[in-house]
Amino acid sequence: MSSITTADLANLNDSSKKEIATYLEAENSKQKVQMSIHQFTNTCFKECIQSTNNTDLSSQEEQCLGNCVNRFLDTNIRIVKGLQSLQ
Amino acid sequence: MGLSSIFGGSAPSQQQTVNPGSNTMPSGGVTDKVKSQISQELAVANATELVNKVTENCFEKCLNSPYTDRNEPCVDQCLIKYMRSWNIVSKAYISRIQQASTSGEI
Repeated sequence: MSSITTADLANLNDSSKKEIATYLEAENSKQKVQMSIHQFTNTCFKECIQSTNNTDLSSQEEQCLGNCVNRFLDTNIRIVKGLQSLQ
Repeated sequence: MGLSSIFGGSAPSQQQTVNPGSNTMPSGGVTDKVKSQISQELAVANATELVNKVTENCFEKCLNSPYTDRNEPCVDQCLIKYMRSWNIVSKAYISRIQQASTSGEI
């Protein structure tokens, strides 16, 4: 971890800097998706999971999780549109 | 901070696999090191988020006030169920993103 010094970073050439910037941007957008999945799982697990007495998801629970994600996104899109129309 | 030391503890072994190549080609080596550090930090952030969320949810589902009972079987089962739920949610979200991108919404 500590093996990268500020001098190392200052000495990077432009193509390396560009490569890192591209990598960072790709990882950043992947991370946004990951964090959304964390958030949706948190919300939908609370709503959909009835019992924790077994390890298998019931078909109802599975269906509920899928619906929950899709309705959450529908709601999100509608809110954005609603706010846009207020402007 | 017990958790950060757990995740930090796995970091050096990953680092070692990157280091040998970096000694031979200095300029590309730094780029690779920066990239692997970025990936590592993201992995730690994701693991921490997962631990926090599973703990919160399984604590809610499995333990009751005044918290005299530990209810470990429920917590273990809840963890597995949470991971399975994570996979279902992930599939649903990604297929929704793909749908939206093929229909030109995003």
